[in-house]
Amino acid sequence: MDANATLIKMEGVKKVFYTDEVETHALEEIHLEIKKGQYISIAGPSGCGKSTLLSILGLLDSPSGGAYWLNGQPVAELTTSERTRIRNREIGFIFQAFNLIGDLTVYENVELPLTYRGTSAAERKQKVQSALERVGMAHRLRHYPSQLSGGQQQRVAVARALVGDPLILMADEPTGNLDSKNGEAVMELLRDLHRNGATICMVTHDQRYANFADRSIHLFDGRIVEESQEAAVSA
Amino acid sequence: MNTIANDIRFGIRMLWKHRLASLVCILALGLGMGATAAIFSMAEAFLLHPIPIPDVSRIVALVDTRPQENILSNAVAPATYLEWQQQAKSFEQMGAYGWHEVNLTGDSAPQRIAGFDVTANFFALLGVQPALGRGFLPEEGEPGKNQLLILSNGLWQGRFASDPAILGKTVKVDGKTFSIVGVMGKGFTFPQPVEAWMPMTLTDNEKFDRQSRYIWAFGRLRPGVSNAQAAAEMATLAQRQAHAFPDIYKGWRLRVMPLREFAAGDLTRQYTILLLGAVAFVLLIACADVANVQFARITGRQKELAVRAALGAGRVRIVRQLLIESILLSFGGAAFGLVFARWQLAVMMQHMPPEVAKYVAGWYTIHLDAGAFAFTLCLAVFSGIISGIAPALLTSRTNVGETLKESGRGSSTGRARHRLRSALVVAEVALSLVLLVGAGLLIKGFHALLTVNNASHPESLLSLSMQLPELKYQQPATLLSFQQRLLQRLSAIPHVQSAALVTSVPYSDGGGIGLRTISIAGRATAVHQDQPVAILETISSNYFAMMNIALRDGRLFSDSDGESTPPVAVISATLAARYFPGLNPLGRKVKVGAADGPASWLTVVGIVDDLHYDWIDKNYLPTLYRLYQQSPQNWTSVLLRTDGSPLSFLPAVRAEIAAVDPDLPIFDAKPFDQVITQSILGIAYVAAMMGGIGIIALILASVGVYGVMSYSVSERTHEIGIRMAMGASGSQIQRLVVGNGMLLTVIGIAIGLPIALAMAFGLSSLLFGVTANDPVSFVGLPLLLAAVAFLASYIPARRVLRVDPLHALRYE
Repeated sequence: MDANATLIKMEGVKKVFYTDEVETHALEEIHLEIKKGQYISIAGPSGCGKSTLLSILGLLDSPSGGAYWLNGQPVAELTTSERTRIRNREIGFIFQAFNLIGDLTVYENVELPLTYRGTSAAERKQKVQSALERVGMAHRLRHYPSQLSGGQQQRVAVARALVGDPLILMADEPTGNLDSKNGEAVMELLRDLHRNGATICMVTHDQRYANFADRSIHLFDGRIVEESQEAAVSA
Repeated sequence: MNTIANDIRFGIRMLWKHRLASLVCILALGLGMGATAAIFSMAEAFLLHPIPIPDVSRIVALVDTRPQENILSNAVAPATYLEWQQQAKSFEQMGAYGWHEVNLTGDSAPQRIAGFDVTANFFALLGVQPALGRGFLPEEGEPGKNQLLILSNGLWQGRFASDPAILGKTVKVDGKTFSIVGVMGKGFTFPQPVEAWMPMTLTDNEKFDRQSRYIWAFGRLRPGVSNAQAAAEMATLAQRQAHAFPDIYKGWRLRVMPLREFAAGDLTRQYTILLLGAVAFVLLIACADVANVQFARITGRQKELAVRAALGAGRVRIVRQLLIESILLSFGGAAFGLVFARWQLAVMMQHMPPEVAKYVAGWYTIHLDAGAFAFTLCLAVFSGIISGIAPALLTSRTNVGETLKESGRGSSTGRARHRLRSALVVAEVALSLVLLVGAGLLIKGFHALLTVNNASHPESLLSLSMQLPELKYQQPATLLSFQQRLLQRLSAIPHVQSAALVTSVPYSDGGGIGLRTISIAGRATAVHQDQPVAILETISSNYFAMMNIALRDGRLFSDSDGESTPPVAVISATLAARYFPGLNPLGRKVKVGAADGPASWLTVVGIVDDLHYDWIDKNYLPTLYRLYQQSPQNWTSVLLRTDGSPLSFLPAVRAEIAAVDPDLPIFDAKPFDQVITQSILGIAYVAAMMGGIGIIALILASVGVYGVMSYSVSERTHEIGIRMAMGASGSQIQRLVVGNGMLLTVIGIAIGLPIALAMAFGLSSLLFGVTANDPVSFVGLPLLLAAVAFLASYIPARRVLRVDPLHALRYE
């Protein structure tokens, strides 16, 4: 694929929640385009729709209206199972709360997306090893998440997001549950990944970390109110 | 495959992590599956292989039925059988057998054995051969050539110490010399409870007899002939006979039934099916329990499942993983269940007296075999799916995005889950109530049977039977002399209050007693089958006093009645009511058998209270009593009223009998209360098993209520905190929780009661003493269930008192 090809395109996307006959407009008229290799941050105050937008971008949720293309394919009206398949193959997730499965080892957690993809055991092993080496956690294969620090857990979560070679990494407040030192380390890791060609879309409310991205959009009341092109912050 | 292994590995890890919940599930499923596996093993033994005969599906029994009198299988007369044998084309061979209990003497102590006369082709037809010696030859069915004996393995071992040189030896059978020509292999006990087989011989008179129904016929189907085809042909033959002899065959209908079904018996089948239904209910209750635990467990794993979904696990994949965990749990339950089933069967087998077990076809083949093992494995998969599918499907519908948020809660599936869990508890309570009422009714019926003849104080009566050999006691005078001497000697034993004679005591022979045709003077009966019938008891005059049978009208037998005085009879109240409605029977004449038969007319001199004879029949049976001096019989039972433990008198009784006739065996010597208990032991087993099943159901239902209420308290901690912050007291909150639990229970009871009532009507037609309007079962048991449910709701409700509103308000 062309290095400047459009990976994500949204036109007029909106999201409405209905709760007990009350309509809540979480997103309104979102127009967004992300090119391959971009590092984009989505910022805004609490409740502005950042996470909802990330959920729709990551195919965890579907929009109430508008159009959405992922890698040229319209994905706004896919069935649940089609969304699941694309999520598994083309999107990697990093969550604020890490969301590692406590009853699986580090190795098993990272292996999970490949297992659902039906990858052979030998290939899984090789890919898991490689992903963990990339985040510097290869020495903790047999540990359980509870035996790791917050920063280590998030690195494992990054490895899990990377292991399937996704088109894009979706990071939802990846430093939200970390102290500043570990937060910095995770941001460095993401920047390294970006430098090596990864496309990243990150939600953050912390302006310091938003500056790590080369492009920022600001949401307010479910609308994009500002968009800026940043120079990457040096370490 | 590899991913399934991963799921299994993870499943085991999760079950281990939640050890307590897993243990509760394994115990619940184990109880359900164990009870089911045990009853399945019994059903397998009783219904699938009650008789060890190869290719048994090709053999059918040919029995007569009288549906209007609830007679489901009856023997046929020799002439009927012989015509079938000559005319039926559907069978390769047709054979028959008839009961013939005999006295075995001549080699060691006299012994009464369960003998059967069988046609010469009996063993060949069944496809079995003796383990030692040979079967009967065709010519050995002729008179004069039939003094031959084939021993059962049990008799050969017990009486002849497994003598390998037994063949050709002779023994005395009812005083005649018989040669032993064979010994059957271990386990072959057809017809139940056989100890020896003898060739069946029919005299010329017997060959034309259409009225004495003592022949049990069966046949092996020709290759290619189905049961239905054979039944159609036999129906034509039976119709032809009915046209030719309408008086004899009126009301009878031929039934062609698989030999396997015939050997199992209709009642055994009905009760086995009842128990299978009951354990299926228990298993469903256990599954509902486990489903509830799974709901609680899976709810705690919402986030994990959402992560899996976010990473690409489809709904099917998540459901598969949860079902694998559920099935693993079931396998644990199955393992425990098999141990539990083995224990149940061992306890059951251990407590069954051999003298009762020998009547139950297939009893000794009950064991946990490969079939039971495979069945339990299938049950495990079924239970795993049943108990896991609803939680798995509902949980897999969770909104992934919402759940992954730090405080996300899927409220819509939460409500659905709550409704489903409540429905499961309602179903558990309803099913438990049905089982409890069923158990209650059966136990009550059993108790009613146990106490029905209590007026006779059976605990101090000793009962025994004897058959005076016809060769030695041919003349009535000899018989009478023996019986009079016997009564004198037995009455003289210290601490024996009195001794009496009676043909058969109630409940002997497993409760089954034959009815004899009687005639009433001056009343013509056009059709043979419309003739009155009655139990015929030939007694000594003190029998009524010994059994505390009260006189209703007229007089009892007295010392002045004897051989030389006019023959007299006493009749039971039921006989009087049935055959002399609105009339005074006193002074009327009755006779045993046909009006033109050889028996003497007896003048009715008294009417007495009824005794209950038959546990199967709810009604009293008409009974005709006659005096032994006026009609001495070879077959008789003796009753002794003792001052102490009846069995302690047995040695003295044996000595006195031996003093009169040393070659006379006595049998069935036991206290009368034991006669009653053993005859209804089958019902006792069914009642005990239903009781056990009812208790298991009660425990499982209370675990279900407890689980749901307990989970509900945890789930509503936040709400409880708000209520408490608003000023609600601990007891108010407790009432709320207990009220919810009791609401589910009351709904369950309301649904269960009509089902239980319908079942009670079914059971009341099956068993004496069971009524569909029993207040204990329909009021007491629902109250018991409600009380247990109250407790199961109250225990988690007490936790409310420990809730700190401040902490609860922070609780998410």
